[in-house]
Formats: sequence, C-alpha cells, structure tokens
Amino acid sequence: MAPAQVSTAAVGDPLVDLLLESLTRRKATGQVVQPGDAGRAAARWMADAGVARAVLAGDPLVDRIGLADALRREGIDVLTWPTGLGKRESMGLEGPIDVCGVTVPARAVAERGTVVLEASAGHGRGLDVTSRHHVALLPADRIVRTLGEALALTYADGRAAPSAVSLVSGPSRSSDIEKISTLGAHGALTEHVVIIR
Amino acid sequence: MSTRRRRADGGVAYLDVQGTLRERTVDALRDRTLRGNLDTAATSWGESRDAMREGYGLDDMRERAREIRRSNIRNLPALLAEMQANVREAGGTVVRAADGAEACRYITGLARARGVKVVAKSKSMATEEIKLNEALQDAGIEVVETDLGEWILQLANEHPSHIIAPAVHLNREQVAALFREEAGTDEVPDDREGLVAHARVRLREKFAEAGIGVSGVNLGVASTGTVCVVENEGNARLVTSQPRIHVAVMGMERVVADWDEAAHILQVLPMAAIGQDAANYVNLITGPRREGESDGPEEFHLVIIDGGRGALRGTEFEEALSCIRCGACLYSCPMWRSVGGQAYGSPYSGPIGAVITPLLEGPSSPASRDLPFMSSLCGACGEACPVGIPLQDLLVRARARSSSPATRASGLAFRAWSRLWRRPGTYRAWMAGWRLMLRARGKDGWATDLPGPGAGWTQVRDMPTKWPPRR
Repeated sequence: MAPAQVSTAAVGDPLVDLLLESLTRRKATGQVVQPGDAGRAAARWMADAGVARAVLAGDPLVDRIGLADALRREGIDVLTWPTGLGKRESMGLEGPIDVCGVTVPARAVAERGTVVLEASAGHGRGLDVTSRHHVALLPADRIVRTLGEALALTYADGRAAPSAVSLVSGPSRSSDIEKISTLGAHGALTEHVVIIR
Repeated sequence: MSTRRRRADGGVAYLDVQGTLRERTVDALRDRTLRGNLDTAATSWGESRDAMREGYGLDDMRERAREIRRSNIRNLPALLAEMQANVREAGGTVVRAADGAEACRYITGLARARGVKVVAKSKSMATEEIKLNEALQDAGIEVVETDLGEWILQLANEHPSHIIAPAVHLNREQVAALFREEAGTDEVPDDREGLVAHARVRLREKFAEAGIGVSGVNLGVASTGTVCVVENEGNARLVTSQPRIHVAVMGMERVVADWDEAAHILQVLPMAAIGQDAANYVNLITGPRREGESDGPEEFHLVIIDGGRGALRGTEFEEALSCIRCGACLYSCPMWRSVGGQAYGSPYSGPIGAVITPLLEGPSSPASRDLPFMSSLCGACGEACPVGIPLQDLLVRARARSSSPATRASGLAFRAWSRLWRRPGTYRAWMAGWRLMLRARGKDGWATDLPGPGAGWTQVRDMPTKWPPRR
C-alpha cells in the first residue's frame, strides 16, 4: 500500500521549509508535527506504508513521543536497538520484509535534505540501511543550513568523534542499469522525516 | 570467478587487455551498441551537470576546491602522519604500502589469519588499481563486488568502463542475461526495478556471509582520522558496518586537513560526478566499533597506498594528485564518449587515466605509454575538472615524457617543411601540387588512399578533393 499523502505545506520557518523542499528533491518525504502528535503521526505513516515491524533507535526522544505504544495500536511489531536478532534476520533475509528503521538524527542539513546519523550504543550503523523503510524523528531545532555547519558541530573540538556518522540524503538508489535512477538498491526504499516543532 | 590475470610487478594497467591501444579503439568505434549506450549516458550527465553549474555556482566552488587540494598535496607527509596517528588513537590499524603487491599481501594475509572465506567489497578504484580481487582469489578467498554496476561487471568478467558508472556500457537486456546465469534460473525479472530488487536479495546473502568488508576511501580527514566513503546505493554502508572486519584502501593523496575542507570537497564531488547536490549516503568512519555499540566492525584497517604517487610530488605532474576521482573529465572527453573506458586498458580511463596510468606505471611501460595520445587536446577535460587540474597541459607533458626524442632525419624533414610553408611562394606551389595530386587520386570528389604522410589520414577517413566537399 502506498503511504498516505502527508502534508508538506510550508510552516513559515525558513530552515524547516528549505529542508522540506530539499527532501522532496531527494525523493524523500517530510512532515511537520507538534511534539504531542509525533508518535501517532510516525506510526500512521508506517501503517500506511505497510510496515510490519519497526526497529527503534534507543533514544530518549522515541520514548518521549510514545512511539512504541502508537505503533502497537497500529498492529506493528516493535523492537528497540540493539535488537539481539540474528545476523540473517537483522539483514532482512529472515522474518518480515517490511521492516522500518526509526532513527533520531543528531542534525539535518536544510540545503541538501540530509540527515546526520551518529552511531552510538542505542543507534546502530545499519539501522536505516538494513531496513526497507526509514523514518527519521527530527526535532526542528537540530536543523542547520549547510553541510559545513553540520560537520563542524559533529566534529567539534573537544568532542570525541563518533565511531561512525552517516549522512543520508534520500532513499537508496542506483543508476547502474542504463543510467536511469532506480530506488531501493541496497538501502531503504523510502525515507520519511518527521520534523517535530 | 574471475579469470583475469594479475601483474606481478604492481603495474596499474590490466594485463589481460587484447591488442594495441589503436586496435582496441577501432574495435570500440565499430561497436554500435556501445556507442548508443555511451551517448545516452553522456547526454544525461551533461544535462545534470549544466543544472549544477547554473544553480549552485559549481564554477566558483572549483577555485576553492583547487586551493584545498593543492595545499593538501603540498602538505601530504604531515597530513598523512596526522591521519595515521588519529586512526590509531581511535583504535584502528594503519598500514603504509609502497605498492599494490605489498597492499595485497597485507590484506590476503589478514584474511587468512582470521579464517575469512568471503570478502564483500564496495566500489573502489584503488583496489582495482592494485588488483586486489585477483590476489584474494589466488589465495582461495571468494570476493563479491556489491556495487550493482561492479557486480554486473564481475558476472560479465569485464573491467569497469567508468569511475562512477562502471557498467554504463551494458544495457538492461545484457544485465538480465547475466543475472539469470548467476542465479541459475530463468525466473529473473527483466524490468529495471525487478533487476535491482533481485540483486539486493542476492547480495544481502553475501553480506551475511562475509568476514571482511573492503571499501575504498574518497577522502581521509587528517584532523580526526576519519575516512569518508561516498555512495548512492547503501552497499558501502553495509560493507563498512556488517562484516567483522573493515579494510579501507586509500590512495595516499586522498587526505584533506580538516572538516572545513572535507565539507567543501564532499559537496563538489557529487555535483561533478553525477550532477546531484548530494550523494545519497556518505559514510564517515573513525576507527572500529566502540564499547557498548552492537554493530560495526570489531577491527578497522586503513591501507594507504603509494604506488608511485609520492614520486610525483614536486614534479610537473604534481597537480594530477589533486584528482578526487569524480569522472567528470571522462564524460566531457570526446574520445572517451566515442570509445568508452575499456579501450584504455586501465582502471583509470579518460583524460585523467591517460595522464596518471603511465605516470604510475613508469614511462617505458608498453601497456600505457600511448595513452597520453588518446586525446584531441580540446581542453574539455580541464574545463570539466571540479578541482581545476589543467588536464590538457598534463596530457601534452605526458606525451613529451613517453615519446622518444626526435631522430635526426625527422628533425630535418620538419625543418624543411617549415621552411617551405613559411614563404608564400613555396607555400602556394606546395598547395597547387597537393590539389593536383588530390584530383588525380580522388574519385567522385573524395580521396580515399593518399600516399606518404597522408596515409594516416585516409586510413580511417576520406579527404575531399575540393572545398566545400561533395555530400
């Protein structure tokens, strides 16, 4: 089932509007919600996308917006990182196919439609890329304009560089066959950013 | 799987190429399917790139990119030392390899020591240069290319034809046939989406099995010891996060000083490479997984290859080291657009390949000494280069380097010719004689087999006997 139409109307905050515009260009989608509606909105999007299982980043924000309960109400199976699944299941070779990785970006780049994912104990490197769908939960105050600003914050002096940082700008794609862009090559087929404001 | 042979001498050019450069070029020109595929690709690339130039000021970004890369190359030894110290600080291992053979020995040795049977690779020109796949296969280790285009080529047992779009010379039907053969079944879809989905599942199986993931490195950031791996498919993230060991192979010139520089180059790269303002995935890796993390490799090894690069610093070819391997000069080159990358017989094709292959191989290598002549010196490459490498000048210098000095006889002949053409009287007499000769040898307005110095011309094209020529 195709995801329902979500409102991507401009909200008057220049960085948020620029990010929404860039996400569209990157073939991702975005929506802006109030903190109280975030859990329900993210769960609704996943239900519409046909998600059977969600793997949630172990992040306080996920608990704050009550996402796990909202997902269960939609009949979606919920796991939290680290999942303890075997290699084959965590690679999508066993178990449900329609898995959605739910990430909490450390930052986002409005100009490019990029979310910045930092690896940590609660946030696996493969969380978004091993799943078929990717939902990012992004507090609006984490949006910066340029890639330079984002990287300056990630690798600020005096802060230990994370072991892995992923800049994700839209769903996975390949142009290797006849140079025509085709989505879902190795990583997620869809990417949806829930901007919490 | 591969039957390609490996060079023992650590050279760059492929050993299994057939025929001379001239023969390969003529064959490629006669291949109509290839030319159609190349035209489609080059046209779409040109359109996306024009959009970048207008919308993002790519031309202005080039000046800064050029300064950054020139300063990186000037400070290379210090930057590499800093990079090395910071990777070690983050818990990684750094190996400096003088040549490809040494790098291959280290990686195959590591695979053996850890009992690894399957290696999953993401796209890397450096590993193609050092012939890592062949070395691993010789050691009895299965190597799987996971970039879709590279996997297609591995199945076809062919070399990549473009830095960014390696299988750009094959069409959908050709790909479907290869997938059917690999899967041993006819039940492989032949639409594009179906083919991509098929490959996704087949390759996930390999990721689950692989004990080592090998990636290339687009940039190394000295200030934090981070390697940047840029990609669109997501396979490089899987390669760098799923297997127990990650080996990153980096040409020694790929290092920048800090994140300010990295941010600039990381934006210029996808614009020049694919005409997009961002790559879908940029993986920034600083050492192995940390305590408490539940995925990511337990071991991280950075293999830094010299392979003849270090010796280019301080020479008239130093700027070739600024290259960020975006592939823009390939698509812009009328030669590459006509024959594709495979005719070059080297992992590095197009203008940059014609310059660096002979430089890395040494001037006397028969496999690559003719490559600098694969150019009309039109300068489109220099214009396309996002880091401002004067490729047309380097091509001229590379020609001088690989040509033998003029013989006394040819020197005299050129001097005599110059004397004749400098005087109006003798010039006119020459041209009158030439016209007579053309008319005598020509038929229906065209001369098809000229004698002497004209023979080279009429070997591949005809010359009109009068102007304008008859259609």
